Amino acid sequence: MPEQPRSETEDIVRSLATDERRRDVPPDEASLYLAAAEAGAAPHEGAARERLGLGAWLALIWLGALITAALLAPWLPIPDPKNDKAAPALFSHGPTLAHLFGLDGIGRDVFSQTIWAARNSLFIGFVSIVIGFLIGGMFGLLGGYFRGRTGAVLGGTTDILLAFPPLVLALTIVAVFDQGLLQVTIALAIVSIPILARITRASTLTWSDREFVLAARAQGGKHPRLMFREILPNVLPAMFSIALLGIAVVIVAEGGLAILGAGVGPGTLTWGTMIAAGQSELRTAPHIVLFPCVMIFLTVLSLNYVGDVVRKRFDVRESGL
Amino acid sequence: MRTIGFKLIRLVIVVLVVTFICFWLLKLSPEDLVDKIIPVGSEAAKNKMRSDIGLNDGFFVQYWHWLSHFFTGNLGYSYLSETGRTPVGESVRQSLPISLELMLGAQILALVVAIPFGVVTAYRAGSKFDGASNSVAFGMLALPSYVLGFVLLLYVGAKWKLLPTAAPAIDSFSLNPLDNWRYMLMPVISLAVGQIAIYMRLLRSDMIATLQEDFVTTAKSKGIPDRRVLFRHALRPSSLTLLTVAGLNVGALIGGALVIEQVFSIPGIGSKLAQSILTNQLVAVQSYVAVIAIFYVVLNFFVDIAYSYLDPRIRHARAAA
Amino acid sequence: MSWFRRTTTEQPAGSQTSTRFPEAPLDGSLLDVRDVKTHFRTGRGLVRAVDGVTLSLERGRTLGVVGESGSGKTVLSRSIMGLLPKHNVERSGSIRFEGHELIGASNDQLRHLWGTQMAMVFQDPMTSLNPVMKIGSQITEPLLYHLDISRDYAHETAVALLESVGIPEPERRMKQYPHEMSGGMRQRVMIAIAIACGPKLLFADEPTTALDVTVQAQILDLLQAQQHERFMAMILVTHDLGVVAGRADDIAVMYAGQIVERAPTEVLFSNTKMPYTEALMHSIPKLGDPSHTRLTTIGGRPPNLIQPPKGCRFSPRCPYAQPKCFEEEPPLVSSDAPSHEFRCWYPVGTPEGAAALARNQAALSNGSG
Repeated sequence: MPEQPRSETEDIVRSLATDERRRDVPPDEASLYLAAAEAGAAPHEGAARERLGLGAWLALIWLGALITAALLAPWLPIPDPKNDKAAPALFSHGPTLAHLFGLDGIGRDVFSQTIWAARNSLFIGFVSIVIGFLIGGMFGLLGGYFRGRTGAVLGGTTDILLAFPPLVLALTIVAVFDQGLLQVTIALAIVSIPILARITRASTLTWSDREFVLAARAQGGKHPRLMFREILPNVLPAMFSIALLGIAVVIVAEGGLAILGAGVGPGTLTWGTMIAAGQSELRTAPHIVLFPCVMIFLTVLSLNYVGDVVRKRFDVRESGL
Repeated sequence: MRTIGFKLIRLVIVVLVVTFICFWLLKLSPEDLVDKIIPVGSEAAKNKMRSDIGLNDGFFVQYWHWLSHFFTGNLGYSYLSETGRTPVGESVRQSLPISLELMLGAQILALVVAIPFGVVTAYRAGSKFDGASNSVAFGMLALPSYVLGFVLLLYVGAKWKLLPTAAPAIDSFSLNPLDNWRYMLMPVISLAVGQIAIYMRLLRSDMIATLQEDFVTTAKSKGIPDRRVLFRHALRPSSLTLLTVAGLNVGALIGGALVIEQVFSIPGIGSKLAQSILTNQLVAVQSYVAVIAIFYVVLNFFVDIAYSYLDPRIRHARAAA
Repeated sequence: MSWFRRTTTEQPAGSQTSTRFPEAPLDGSLLDVRDVKTHFRTGRGLVRAVDGVTLSLERGRTLGVVGESGSGKTVLSRSIMGLLPKHNVERSGSIRFEGHELIGASNDQLRHLWGTQMAMVFQDPMTSLNPVMKIGSQITEPLLYHLDISRDYAHETAVALLESVGIPEPERRMKQYPHEMSGGMRQRVMIAIAIACGPKLLFADEPTTALDVTVQAQILDLLQAQQHERFMAMILVTHDLGVVAGRADDIAVMYAGQIVERAPTEVLFSNTKMPYTEALMHSIPKLGDPSHTRLTTIGGRPPNLIQPPKGCRFSPRCPYAQPKCFEEEPPLVSSDAPSHEFRCWYPVGTPEGAAALARNQAALSNGSG
C-alpha cells in the first residue's frame, strides 16, 4: 500500500538490471515482432499523433457547451431557478415544451436549475482539484525528488491522510465545519491532496532517474531548476489527465455528500443538492432526480474520455495511476 | 515473521494517529459542541453533558479518556434530548454487519463478473467482443453508484415492482443474507457496477502483459488447453495486482456504500452516520468515523499480509532477509 | 481445477478422435518443411521473418539452425511447432510431421502434438518458468494432461525426470519455486518439462544463451544425452556456430529469413561455400588462438526484414559482393558434396569467389590509399 510507488521504481530498476544482463544476448528483431503480434495489435508508432475520434469531439463539445452555459447562466434566457413566476402552480410535472426538464415540487424550472447547479458543481470540481494539485502536487514533486528524510516525512503525511476512506474524511470535515460551498470545496480538496501527491510522486520518481535529469544534475543544475525545468514539464501531462479524472470524481463525490446530508446545504444549487432534494419524490416526480443524474453521468463520461485521450497522447503509463 | 511484527507495529501507530485525527477534528469545530448537539436545553443540562463527555479536562486527558472508552466498547451517545440518549456502540453492533454484507456482496459480485470478462477480453484483445466490453466498462466507470441506484429504484422497484424499494427499520431487518437478499440485491448491484469496470480494465491490461510472458508460451507448448493456460498460468500472477487494487479500492467502496445505504434506506452504518450528521450528533459522528477508518486500516493490513503470502517470490525474499 | 482435465479422462490415451491425427506410418522423414513463409503484419509493413525455408529431419538426428539476430531462426522454430500468435501473422507453405500436414491444422489438433510429439526448450530459463507455480506441478502438468496416469504416478515420474536431468534432491526441488533455483537448474527443469511426455522432436531455442558460460556446455551435453537416450530428433537453434559444431548432424545457416547454406556438419566446416557462413566461422574464438586475438566481426547491420535488400540479401555486408549480387537473388543450388546446398553467385573456395574477393580488396585499398 503506502510503499507502492517506491516498489514500482524498484521494479523498474530491477528490470533495467535484467535488461542489462540480457543485452549480451542480441534481441532477435523478429521475436520483438513476435511479441508485438502476440499482444494482439500491430505496433504502430504514429498512434500518438492520431486525429481526435468522434467520441473525443462529442466529449469536448459537451464540456464546452456545459461550461459556456454555466458561465453565462445569469444572462441566459432561462427562468429564475429559485422562483419562477411564470409557473402556473405549486406542483411538479414532467418535461413539456415550455419546461424542457419539467418543474419541481414548488413550480421551479428544473432545466434552469441544472444550469445554475452546473455552475456550482463545476466550481467545486475545478477549485478543489486545483487546490489539491497545488498542495498535493508540490508534496509529490518534493517527495519524489528528495528521496531522503524529506521524502519520508511527506510520504508519511500523505499515508496518514490516506488511512481515511476519502468520502468519510470529507464528510467529517463538512459535519464539523457546517455545510456550505466553501466547506465542501475545501473538504474535497483536502481529501484529494494525498491521492494527487502520491500520483505525482510516482511520476516524479520515474522521471528523476532519467538520463537527461542525471545529465543536468551532473552539469551542476540546482535543485529548483532540475525540479521545475527538467522534471515538472514531463510530469505535467500525467497531472493534467489525472486532474480531468479528479474533477469527475469530485463532482460525483459532491453528489454523495449531498445525499448524506453533508453537502453545500439546501440554499445552494448543485447537482448533488438537486438529487438530495428530489430524492423523496422519486416515485411521483422522477425527473427532478434523473436530470441532474444524467448531467453528472455525461459530464463524468466526457471528462474521463478526454482524460483518457490526453493520457494516450502523452503515453502516460497506466501503472503510475 | 519479523516483517509481520513490523507491520503490526505500524498498524498500531496508524490506528493511534487515525483515532487522534478523529478526536482532534471535533475540537476544531467553530461552535460549542454541546450547543450543537442539544441546541435547545437548559444551561444546567448542557453543563452536565460537558462534564459527561469530559470537555472540561485538558486536551490529552480528553483524548486518553475517549480512546480508552472507545477500545472498551463505549462509543459515546446520541442525544435525543436533554435526558434521553442512545449508546452509539449498540447501534454500531446492529448496523455494521449490514454494511459489511453490502460491501462484501458488491465486492464478490464485482470480482465474479470482472474476472472472466477481464481474462476473456485480454485473450481476445482487439476483437469486437473486446471492443464492446471495453466501451461498456468505460460507461460503467462514469456511472456513479447512486445514479444507478436511483434508476434501479425507479424502474425495478417502483415501476415494475420486482423488488421492494425500502428496507425495514433496523429492528426488523434480518441479518441473514438468505432472508434479506430482496432488500440487498439492488444496492449490491449499484455498488458493484463501478467496481466491475475498474477490475475488468485492470485485469485486462495486466493479463495482456502476462500473456506475453515467456512462461505462458511454455505453458502453451505443453499442449494444455488455452482455458487452463489462461486461468491457471496467466491469471495467478495478474490476480496479485487485482488483490492490491481491490484492497485500495475499499476506501471508495466504503464511501459508495454509505451513499447507497442512504439511497435505499438500508439500516447500515452509513444511514446511521447520515442521521447523526443531520441531527448534529457530533460525538456519534466521531465514533462512526473512527470505526470506519479503523476497519479500513485493518483491512488494508490484511491485504498487505495476504499479498506477501500469495506471491512466493515476496514470501521467500522476506524469509531470506 | 479437475474440470480442466475432464477431456483427458473421457478420451483414454491413444484413442482416435476428430481432434487427433491418425496413427502415422513409420517410414519417411519425421519432419518435412517446404517453402515455409511466416510474415508479421505490423504498422511499419510486412515483416518477412521467415521467407521460404525448406528442410527435413530424420528421426533421432540433430539439425543445427544458425544465424545472427534477426535471421528468423527463432520464428522458424515457432512456426514449425505452430506456436505463433493468432493475429497479424501469415504462414504459408507446407510442414509435414510424420506425414501429417501441420499448416492449417486446428489448434486442438496441434495441442495433442505439443508435449507428446514435439516440445520446446526456450531461451531464457529465468522467464520461461511460471514464477508462482511449484516446480513439481509445472512438470506433472503435461504428464497429467496428456497421459492417463494418477497423480502419484505423475509425481514419481516427475521426480525421476528431475533426477535424469541431473538435479540433486529431486523430491525437495519438486516443492520449490523457480526463483529458488539457479539459471542452469531452471534450464534443467525446462528440459525435464519438455521431455516429460517423450516427444519425438525437441526444439532447443538458444537453450544456453542466457546462461553462464560455465553451465552452457553442461546443458548442451545434457540435451545431447537425453536425445540419444530417448531417440529424439532435435532442432538446435543458436547464433553460435561453435555450439552446434560438435553436436549437430546437419547445420542450416539462416540469413534474413532464408536458409543460405545447408550441409552435414563436417561438409559445412570443410567445404564452406557461402561468405556469410565463412564470416560466422571467423567469429568463433578458437582454442589454439593466442590470447587477446581480435575476433572478426561481420560489418554492417542485420538486414531489414520489411524491405530485404535486392538481389542477394547478404550482399550489402559481403566482402565478395559483385554487381550481380546486388541485382539477382541467388537460388539455393547443390554443391558437389552430397546434401550440401547454398545460395551464392561467387562461392567461397572457388576461382570465381577468389577473384571476386581479390577485386573488392583491391578496390578497397585503392579507395583508401
